[in-house]
Amino acid sequence: MSLKSTDKHQNSPNHTADSTKLMSTKALTRLLSPVKNYLIAGCILAFLGSALGLAPYIAIAEIAKLIFKNPDTSSQTIWLWVGIGIVGAFLRLVLLFFSSRVGHVADAEILHKIRVRIVRHLGTMPLGWFRAKGSGVIKKVMTTDLEEMHQLIAHSLREMIGAVTAIAVSIGYLWVVNWQMTLISVAVLLTMYVSFRIAMRSVTTHMNRLINAETKISTSAVEYADGITVVKTFGVGGRLLSRFDNAVKEHTNAFKIWVSETQYSSAISRMFASEVTLLGVLTITGLGFISNGTLTVPDFLPFLIVGIGLPTAIVPAIHGSQGLRKGRLSASNIETVLLQDVIPESNNSQEPQEYSVAFHKVSFAYSENNDVIKDISFECPQGTVTALVGRSGSGKSTLTHLLPRFYDVRQGSITIGGIDIRQMSSEKLLGSMSLVFQDIVLLRDTVRENIRIANPDATDEDIIKATKSAYIHEVIEQLPQGYDTVLGTGNIGLSGGEQQRLTIARAMLSDAPIVVLDEATASLDPDNEVLVQRALSSLVKNKTVIMIAHRLYTISNAHQIIVLQEGTIAEKGTHQQLLNNQSLYATMWEAQVIQC
Amino acid sequence: MIRRLYKLFPNKSVIVRLTVLHVFRALLEGILLGVLVPILNCLLQPQPDFQSIKIWLIIGGIGFLCYLVLTVISSPIGFGASMKLAEQLRNDVMNRVTRLPLGWFTSDKKAKLARIITADTGLIAQLAVTIGAPAIIAVLVPSTIIVVTFFINWKIAVLFLAVMPVALVVLRWTGNIAAEAAIKLEEAATNIAGKAIELGQAQTVLRAAGKGTEGTVQLQQTLDKHRIVYRKGLKRSTLPDLTYTGVVIAGFVAVILSVTFLFIHQSVSIPEAIVLFILAVRFLEPLAYLIELNGALRAMDNAINRVQELLQTPTLPMAKYPVTDIKNASIQIENITFAYGQNPVIENVSFHCPQGSTTALIGASGSGKTTLIRLIARFYDVNNGAIKIGGTDIRQLDYNTMMNDIAIIFQDVYLFDTTIKENLLIAKPDATEAELKEAATAAQLDEMLERLPNGWNTKTGESGLQLSGGERQRVSIARAFLKKARIILIDEAASALDPENEQAISKAIANIASDKNRTVIIIAHRPATIQSANQVIVLDKGKVVENGSPQDLLNQNGHYAKFLQQHQQRKEWKVEG
Repeated sequence: MSLKSTDKHQNSPNHTADSTKLMSTKALTRLLSPVKNYLIAGCILAFLGSALGLAPYIAIAEIAKLIFKNPDTSSQTIWLWVGIGIVGAFLRLVLLFFSSRVGHVADAEILHKIRVRIVRHLGTMPLGWFRAKGSGVIKKVMTTDLEEMHQLIAHSLREMIGAVTAIAVSIGYLWVVNWQMTLISVAVLLTMYVSFRIAMRSVTTHMNRLINAETKISTSAVEYADGITVVKTFGVGGRLLSRFDNAVKEHTNAFKIWVSETQYSSAISRMFASEVTLLGVLTITGLGFISNGTLTVPDFLPFLIVGIGLPTAIVPAIHGSQGLRKGRLSASNIETVLLQDVIPESNNSQEPQEYSVAFHKVSFAYSENNDVIKDISFECPQGTVTALVGRSGSGKSTLTHLLPRFYDVRQGSITIGGIDIRQMSSEKLLGSMSLVFQDIVLLRDTVRENIRIANPDATDEDIIKATKSAYIHEVIEQLPQGYDTVLGTGNIGLSGGEQQRLTIARAMLSDAPIVVLDEATASLDPDNEVLVQRALSSLVKNKTVIMIAHRLYTISNAHQIIVLQEGTIAEKGTHQQLLNNQSLYATMWEAQVIQC
Repeated sequence: MIRRLYKLFPNKSVIVRLTVLHVFRALLEGILLGVLVPILNCLLQPQPDFQSIKIWLIIGGIGFLCYLVLTVISSPIGFGASMKLAEQLRNDVMNRVTRLPLGWFTSDKKAKLARIITADTGLIAQLAVTIGAPAIIAVLVPSTIIVVTFFINWKIAVLFLAVMPVALVVLRWTGNIAAEAAIKLEEAATNIAGKAIELGQAQTVLRAAGKGTEGTVQLQQTLDKHRIVYRKGLKRSTLPDLTYTGVVIAGFVAVILSVTFLFIHQSVSIPEAIVLFILAVRFLEPLAYLIELNGALRAMDNAINRVQELLQTPTLPMAKYPVTDIKNASIQIENITFAYGQNPVIENVSFHCPQGSTTALIGASGSGKTTLIRLIARFYDVNNGAIKIGGTDIRQLDYNTMMNDIAIIFQDVYLFDTTIKENLLIAKPDATEAELKEAATAAQLDEMLERLPNGWNTKTGESGLQLSGGERQRVSIARAFLKKARIILIDEAASALDPENEQAISKAIANIASDKNRTVIIIAHRPATIQSANQVIVLDKGKVVENGSPQDLLNQNGHYAKFLQQHQQRKEWKVEG
């Protein structure tokens, strides 16, 4: 809940469409700046290639003109034009090939560069961000969003430049030949462009409607699949399927509306975008101009050779503009992640000499004016066990998240060995504690490396010692490749409790002096509970322990128990002291004793 | 691919009509270019023959009008076809999904389904229409031009004819190499996606290891690999890409050279030469465009593959003459064996649950408890042996009749994104207020409904995320009560429940089991639940190792006794500094 509200907060500034467009264009420019030179080179090559690419057409047109005007034209002149045409065609081939190559290389490079940048930036962001929906977002920006930019980087920019060049050169040449006919050609192109713009005017609205309908289709299909057991056992398939049917119909309708709304403009733009249309228009007007003397027959020929090709040249420009739009959108998604606040790191980081933990008047809120931790102070001397108890929502978990700096406190401070945790480097801070929460983090790597990451210098003997104390050594030995079995690739046959013990072995190896623990982790896998408990018992030995407890019996020997209620400390003391208090803790204890 | 695309569409007439339309358009385009030949012939005389031109102009004009009409109608017909195709495909896919065995619905498959039902089907429908036309035109226009050219100069026509198949063969080759590169690149990207998720999840571990800003070695390798694969793909496609454009340009050069040669040696007249030049340009341009379609064709091919794979997933076999009457709620497991893949997870298991009895399944994780429950509910069919309900093999039972009499309460309870009340009404749409209340009380929902601000009308949130795990399970128990199914399969929530929920759920389950007509099979974790069962089945590695009443088993001092012992140990755990 609270996490959601912080998200809302971040998204709150409402931008108008134009300023978003501008911002995303800027974001795009910034993101692409490392490969600027490649992109410019690609565009220059595209420019040259497209310009020279017209040489063969112009050459043919000129030959046609020449031989018609003067049937006795020397074969040398003709061969000269043939030569120009062939050289032009060849250069076009080479230049456009290199333009495409440079564009793709730029794509390969920038993908890598941005990915590395994202990874580096993520490493400096507050850990709390990752707990919300971090992984999904990371996956999206590192794959989908970046790939959406492919069209833009590798194709659109160059192709648009090429298209514009080709059109400009063609029109320039035709203008020299006969400006009246050129005007007619340009008019046809303009009509096409204008009608295209009209057809595309409402594209955003319609696209959004279609995307909405598509989302509904997917949601209803997934809802059906998610709830399939309920669907089958309660026979409610029909109702859910009608939701799906409606979504599909809605999609079809949205499409229909779009098509009918733009049927004229899109028909016109299609008509005018066709070479045949230009052929027809140019032939008829050409013949007319010839008969009234505005045009000579030889001057008519270039229009049939160069002019008719104009619509073909425009297509890449249209595709290009679509690529540009997609690219801008992705760029702003990527930049949103890259612009996330980093967690402030101290310049001269300090190292604690001992590992007691203290909270000094700590207040914290996920969203403004809504403190979930209110002015809390307590101390955990080195080597003692501190238990946090309280109903859900009392602030237990939040407290344990503040110590590793998932979030920074709003007020007050937290110290380890007297040093403010904000003065420690994140490597030292996180290296000083083992976090045993409900989420099990295993890397897609061998069992050995998964444990060794806690201490790169550890020998194989050290690792085995850790796995033995976590009661997982024998299980690992039975895996197909023992310690070299790669985890995370499908079903490797480790149960939840076994994976848990693997992460505990990792914590053992790091031998961090502080252990932050959620007791619930022990009972995630009932079949393994005893072993997980044993592993945890060996982990916490002689450590400064801060743990969230649910079963009060578990913590009855803790050095101190902190009872939380709505973000404040309701009671504090040992089990016996709290029972004597006859207050909140005593009531909770009573309730649990009866149940057992 | 065209054949597979064609197969995919249930309503072929749409696509046939559209194809015919585009074929006509393409032929017309070629013919109109052909009409230019006589016009130019008349025009390019020392004295233009405007009289003959007029006739040709009229013929051309008629053709041109036809062409315009076809172009104008082709776009709504195309869009209409695209819409229909998307709708049909989506309905087909969903229709298949409703008939798949429950075992199919893993999270992987659900993600796939989401993609197929929106992106893939949409893409196929869209591309079938948008690239269908250009592809037809790009092939047919050059073909028509070849025919036209034969009337002017057969030598040049033969030259054209030689260029086209070469171009098409090279195009295919190019496409294959590009497809290969694309598959490799997609693999590399999938690896990155996996690493990206890991990066988010393992951030704390990575930072503690001082690898926060660079990631693991594997991550770096994955990123590097993507770049390498990308650049390798580019390198590999150099030759084919250059070759294709090269073939088109070589054709161009050959045509220019031969026309010029023929002209200089006076084998062709001036007008013929000019016409040949114009035809050459029009012939080669569509061919050059074909390579642009390669990428889209590839994307469509992949989408077709995914849709087809889903459409070909075997459905749950149904009996020809199903039994629609369940005699009683007894369950008979007869020597069943089942494997997801090669190794059996259930092996020769037999036991009997009389109507009204409660059976507790216990065993270590991976012992086959959950699979067994799933087999009884026919998520999958057994490989050997038989499961009988009321004496009838469940494969012979009418599926709906059977499902009507079974309620399943899972650990990961699925609630629909609506109110608690609606979620209960799913079990019995016409339930009265009194019935709802009764079910709620039996499932220990009362306390919860009172506490929630909107009571019965509290929204459960997407996938029921607003409620805690224990609360969700209680809702699903209430649902089972309301349904009054005679067979109830329960996977008792085992993990970290807070004491209040734990208590409530135990009571609710006890209430369910107390009905004399109800047969309950429960995967049990709590001694209290197990002790109240009529029989306990202990599973180990897919086999029944102990079977009997709780008291008998306790006396045997075997697995069951050990299980109880462990539970006691669990409770006595204390954290000591």
